[in-house]
Amino acid sequence: MESLGYLLQGFETAGTWANLLLCLIGVTFGMCVGVLPGLGPTAGTALLLPLTFGLPPVSAVIMLSGIYYGAMYGGTITSVLINTPGESASLMTCMDGYPMARQGRAGSALGIAAIGSFIGGILALLVLILVGPIVAKQALKFGPPEYFALVVVGLSLLIGLMGKSLLRGLIAALFGFALALIGMDPLTGTIRFAFGMEELEDGFEFVSIAMGLFGLSEIFITAEENLNAQAQKPPKIQNMLPRREEWGPSIKAILRGSGIGMILGLVPGTNSVIPTILSYTIEKKVAKDPSRFGKGAIEGVAGPETANNAYAGAALIPLFTLGIPSSPSIAILLGAFIMHGLTPGPTLLQKNPEFVWGVIASMFIGNLILLIMNLPLANVWARITMVPFKILLPNVLIIMILGAYSINNSMFDVGAMLAFGILGYFMKKVAFPLGPVLLAFVLGKIMETSLLKSLTIFSGSFIPFFQRPISATLLVVAFAIISISLYFAYKEKGIDADTEI
Amino acid sequence: MKKMLCVIMVLILAVGLVGCGKGAKTQEGAKVDFPTKPITLIVSFAAGGGTDLGARLLAPYLEKELGVPVVVENKPGGGGWIGYSELLKAKPDGYTIGYVNTPGLITGYLNPSAKRQQNLDSFTYVANHVLDPGVIAVRADEKRFTTIQELIEYAKKQELTTTTNGVGTGPHMAALDINQKMGTKFKPVHFNGTGEYLAAVLGGHIDVFIARVGESLEPVRDGQLKVLAVTTKERVPQYPNVPTMNETVGEVLNYSSRGIAAPKGIDPKVLEKLQTAFEKAMKNPEHVQKMEKMGLTVHYLKGDDYKNLLKAEEKVIQNLKPLLGWN
Repeated sequence: MESLGYLLQGFETAGTWANLLLCLIGVTFGMCVGVLPGLGPTAGTALLLPLTFGLPPVSAVIMLSGIYYGAMYGGTITSVLINTPGESASLMTCMDGYPMARQGRAGSALGIAAIGSFIGGILALLVLILVGPIVAKQALKFGPPEYFALVVVGLSLLIGLMGKSLLRGLIAALFGFALALIGMDPLTGTIRFAFGMEELEDGFEFVSIAMGLFGLSEIFITAEENLNAQAQKPPKIQNMLPRREEWGPSIKAILRGSGIGMILGLVPGTNSVIPTILSYTIEKKVAKDPSRFGKGAIEGVAGPETANNAYAGAALIPLFTLGIPSSPSIAILLGAFIMHGLTPGPTLLQKNPEFVWGVIASMFIGNLILLIMNLPLANVWARITMVPFKILLPNVLIIMILGAYSINNSMFDVGAMLAFGILGYFMKKVAFPLGPVLLAFVLGKIMETSLLKSLTIFSGSFIPFFQRPISATLLVVAFAIISISLYFAYKEKGIDADTEI
Repeated sequence: MKKMLCVIMVLILAVGLVGCGKGAKTQEGAKVDFPTKPITLIVSFAAGGGTDLGARLLAPYLEKELGVPVVVENKPGGGGWIGYSELLKAKPDGYTIGYVNTPGLITGYLNPSAKRQQNLDSFTYVANHVLDPGVIAVRADEKRFTTIQELIEYAKKQELTTTTNGVGTGPHMAALDINQKMGTKFKPVHFNGTGEYLAAVLGGHIDVFIARVGESLEPVRDGQLKVLAVTTKERVPQYPNVPTMNETVGEVLNYSSRGIAAPKGIDPKVLEKLQTAFEKAMKNPEHVQKMEKMGLTVHYLKGDDYKNLLKAEEKVIQNLKPLLGWN
């Protein structure tokens, strides 16, 4: 009940004209990056992050999170209309969404996706409101050893879910780790791998890595592949609501999708693609007639589209309460928190309730705006896919360079971003996943410092890790994850999740 | 057409040169003609941080004294040294000055792996602005020790973990200093920021909270922490009932200072002008009050006094070098 009062205060914060406007800008921009193939939520958030420096923290995060969940809605449109996922979480939507569109039912596909996304998003927010404060209270029990164990779980999942591309994923993750080691040693203060550059004494700037690897590399690839491509004319959208007999199965799919998304959102090391694949697989399993899937089954759109939005909401729980990002996009939000002087973690809810609840309230508003944007205005968005890349890309590039410079007022970060952009381009060319680089970079830093802190507390012994109930349990879970995935790898199965995050 | 352009270019150049010459002349002639253009105040830390806020609070009062705009420029990174290096590279004309913070300024060149040639003599000191005293606190419900004497006695027999916000920071030095002087067994654990280590203390993962007064105000007000001692010569206004280390267990001096420095070789008359302006601005009651609201204590010290303060701190850190492994 206490939460309800806070939430009302949150609406007060989120309901000011300035914040409403920023929320609108955020979700609109999110829709755009979602709709446009090439730019995903991670790149979109990274892109706008430096532009929020002048804003108060709550407004900045309202806008940035708007991009994040807005993109989850937007990605659907291109998946359904032109069979190209606007962002990776909408990949599964192509399977049945596009066939539906070819049967002239694009409207129903987009309609159910929007409704599902809305329900999934709102349910995840309700869980966040109910569970968040409880987790935050328990989170004080998370000392350095528990953080270490949790990150180990996250990283084992990251590896476990790599599926067929295990070797490439591992190399990518290790590269991220190596990047995390640059800068001052947290235990002795020795400067490592800085090669005499003062700029590197604090390590690489997270934002320049994120913008380079995700944003810039996408621009290079898109420029190469599609610069002169003729934009496809999307079909006309009508009849947004599904048929009467489809409501029952759709709602069930939406509820299942919400559950899957929420649970996976809590686990660090996942990404928004995994819940969609899982949801699609489950829908196909429980369906009376699985042969309909791939030919325009509405559950195949409803389930995954809900799951990615529920995931987006639930992923905020570990971020707000423990300061641990589940996915690369969330890692960028974490970066935004830190840049604005907020420390996500157990004390955040206590010290900055107006911030946390303001952001949560804004997400209710944002989801509502998105529902309106997607149901009656779907046709307008469909036209965005026709903006020529010739105009779009140079403008995005300018914003990125300005953004990278404004982090520290230094050209070094611009150079770093360009270098990571070129690197990201080549990594994509040879099918290296980029998500693990960024996640390992962020989680690697947390892992190193929490390990060193723990070892200082334990006077160098590893045994106490197994004597503390939470850390022991988590380490056992990590061990189980690795064993299971090894078993599946042995059986040549496992979820193929090497799609770009 | 091209000819025309050439002529115009030459003209512009000529006018420019004449203008420059004029400028140089006036500076030669009347040395006290300072300042005539905006002053850049480098803040070597991120916008929104403690140093930045303090600088931005001070700038308007400074502008009033100097009559020219004071532009705060953030150059974060390298523990402050990105900005310090830039400051040292600037012309010593008084138009580029910057904040220097301890202990980062001093550890930055004492840490051998940083391989820096600079030291305290590389700068000219204008004035100290802020002195943030160190505090030693424990959880409010801590039963094992409730006074600083009990804490020190306990720590002589048993190992206790303490918080720091990184290697070579004030809280780290404080713990090492106490260990060296009193034979206690404090184990400093390095965190990234106050929020992080406050949670670790409240969750019972770390025994002792060592930080700055400014960082302790909120948790103490919320009844989460209890301050046992401050590490200054005299008691601090924020905690009038809390004893100093000096009056209880023995002298331990630990604080961080933030002041303004200029590159070496600045004209003494210009320096004098700057110092007068800073003194007036810093001592403005309105400014002092605004800073206090943020938990920052304004502590004006003029050039040489400020340098002596830094030298004293340098000596403390020099003595701790073996414990830091910096040989």
